[in-house]
Amino acid sequence: MAKILNKREVLTVPNPAAAYQKEDPFADFREVEMLELHWEQTYHHSLGKYSKFFLELEKKRFLATKCPKCGKVWTPPRPVCPHDLQVTKWVELSGEGTLEGYSICEFAPAFVSSEKPYVLAYVALDGADTLFCHQLRHFGDRSNIKTGMRVRVAYAEGEVAHPIRLMYFEPV
Amino acid sequence: MEERPVVVLGGGISKFAAERRDGTIRDWMVEAVQEAVQDAGVEIEEIEHATTSYFSDHFDKQLKQGAIFHDSIGMCPKPNVRVEGGGGTGGLALRNAYAYLKAGLCDSMIVYGAENMGRHVPSDVSQQFIAMASDTDWEYLVGGFYIAYYAVMIQEHMRRYGTTEEQMAMVSVKNHRNALHNPKAHGPMKITVEDVMKSPMIAAPYKRLDCSLLSDGAACLILSTEEWAKKHAKSWQAKPHIYFAGTGCGTDFMRMGDRPRPNPGICHFRGKQVASQQAYAMAGIKNPLKEIDVAEIHDAYSGVEIQSYEDLGFCKHGEGGRLLEEGVFDLGGELPCNTSGGLIGFGHPVGATGVAQGVEIMLQLRGEAGPGRQVKGARRGLMDSHGGTGTFVAVNIFERRD
Ligand SMILES: [Zn+2]
Repeated sequence: MAKILNKREVLTVPNPAAAYQKEDPFADFREVEMLELHWEQTYHHSLGKYSKFFLELEKKRFLATKCPKCGKVWTPPRPVCPHDLQVTKWVELSGEGTLEGYSICEFAPAFVSSEKPYVLAYVALDGADTLFCHQLRHFGDRSNIKTGMRVRVAYAEGEVAHPIRLMYFEPV
Repeated sequence: MEERPVVVLGGGISKFAAERRDGTIRDWMVEAVQEAVQDAGVEIEEIEHATTSYFSDHFDKQLKQGAIFHDSIGMCPKPNVRVEGGGGTGGLALRNAYAYLKAGLCDSMIVYGAENMGRHVPSDVSQQFIAMASDTDWEYLVGGFYIAYYAVMIQEHMRRYGTTEEQMAMVSVKNHRNALHNPKAHGPMKITVEDVMKSPMIAAPYKRLDCSLLSDGAACLILSTEEWAKKHAKSWQAKPHIYFAGTGCGTDFMRMGDRPRPNPGICHFRGKQVASQQAYAMAGIKNPLKEIDVAEIHDAYSGVEIQSYEDLGFCKHGEGGRLLEEGVFDLGGELPCNTSGGLIGFGHPVGATGVAQGVEIMLQLRGEAGPGRQVKGARRGLMDSHGGTGTFVAVNIFERRD
């Protein structure tokens, strides 16, 4: 039985700088023990002042925030307008908009539970001054995706792993 | 007369590689420091201050890494400051060192940077860690990650200006080729545009060979005032004199959807436009393409180098791809870019990257870059280091004065 439960291997490694070092300065240090370390944690994460956006998404309403001073409509919402530091007001948008940019991804980082390929899309929602980033789905053939096409917020059926996944975009 | 001119005394770089199981991030940092101290001809006990440059706490699952770096090279109880700005960490650390020296907080500064990015965790976990340097409440959980963000940006550049995938591939070919002459490079390769075009698609239009490398490695640069150099550094007598001639910093919204359109929109690096203009004003540069001899560019992805030529003012928006095709940025061209191989060919251990750019520019200006990649008679060099999708940008300029 192994005494060290997380030991992966013990090996003798070459000098990685051998191509330009005549002598290995670390010749006495070339035996290496490799371990396997595991790390997992749970966070109690507050959505803070963004919360209303997510709670309303559950009711299939898409909210943004509007600055009372400069009139700028921010989506994702911001409780304070960065232009003039004024506290904003919630406004509802129709959820329709225009595709401004996208990439078709054949790869996903760990813990992004997405079918591949998936489309990362930036959408100018009608009535908003910024772009909202989310996945574009239900586009049929990938050649249908064009910058400038009309899209809308769609609402996910069933359970989701995070409230941001309550929505996605689809062509109008 | 400039007050307290800042000079570059010496530099060192560890071997950059995909996986350095021979040691830990501390060991690589010590390797880089040993080389830098030797190169500068200074004693570590004489150096007054340190700047720590690393990006991530979770790649190495070690917080407060700077304290370990600092005591590993015997710098206690002298002062230290950590600088962090994502991919721009190294460039910002050099700028920080410049400010400390100029302000008189110290007369000598060692800047060391390192990152443990290689195979410590699988590459999909690496991409997740890096993606955590985007907005985790809004973009990360919908599938946002850096290759995809940059892919969206270059798609817009292609749409506006007709930049092509072949032009991007040419950047990769150039930088992997330049790395052939850099014995410390992680990714030296003789490849063709076709090889890049045929490599696996990751986030369209970016393919595997359009991407920078996840590397293990470290780099170190030693800076001081001119006065300190005369008294303490053997390199001051033995080597050409390299001065820190200009620095600039710019920023932009974390989420690129929040940036004003059309400039920068989801196409350009506004922070880089700002940073470079500041640095040029300090260094007295009016026409960067003509007045800079060599540059290290933050080529996180091949197209980023083309976008950066433009935002650094080497040419107008939309002209980068064409100038690249003409060979302007090749070794032997008007302004060779990424002679070290850059992030694509040399490698990208984030905290080390911007510092390593500084070492490359120092070597180029001294005429010590070695056969194959030395730019003849280089007098002035620029380094461009950025984090996020151009959220934090540092542009620094070194100059040789004989
Ligand atoms: Zn406002």
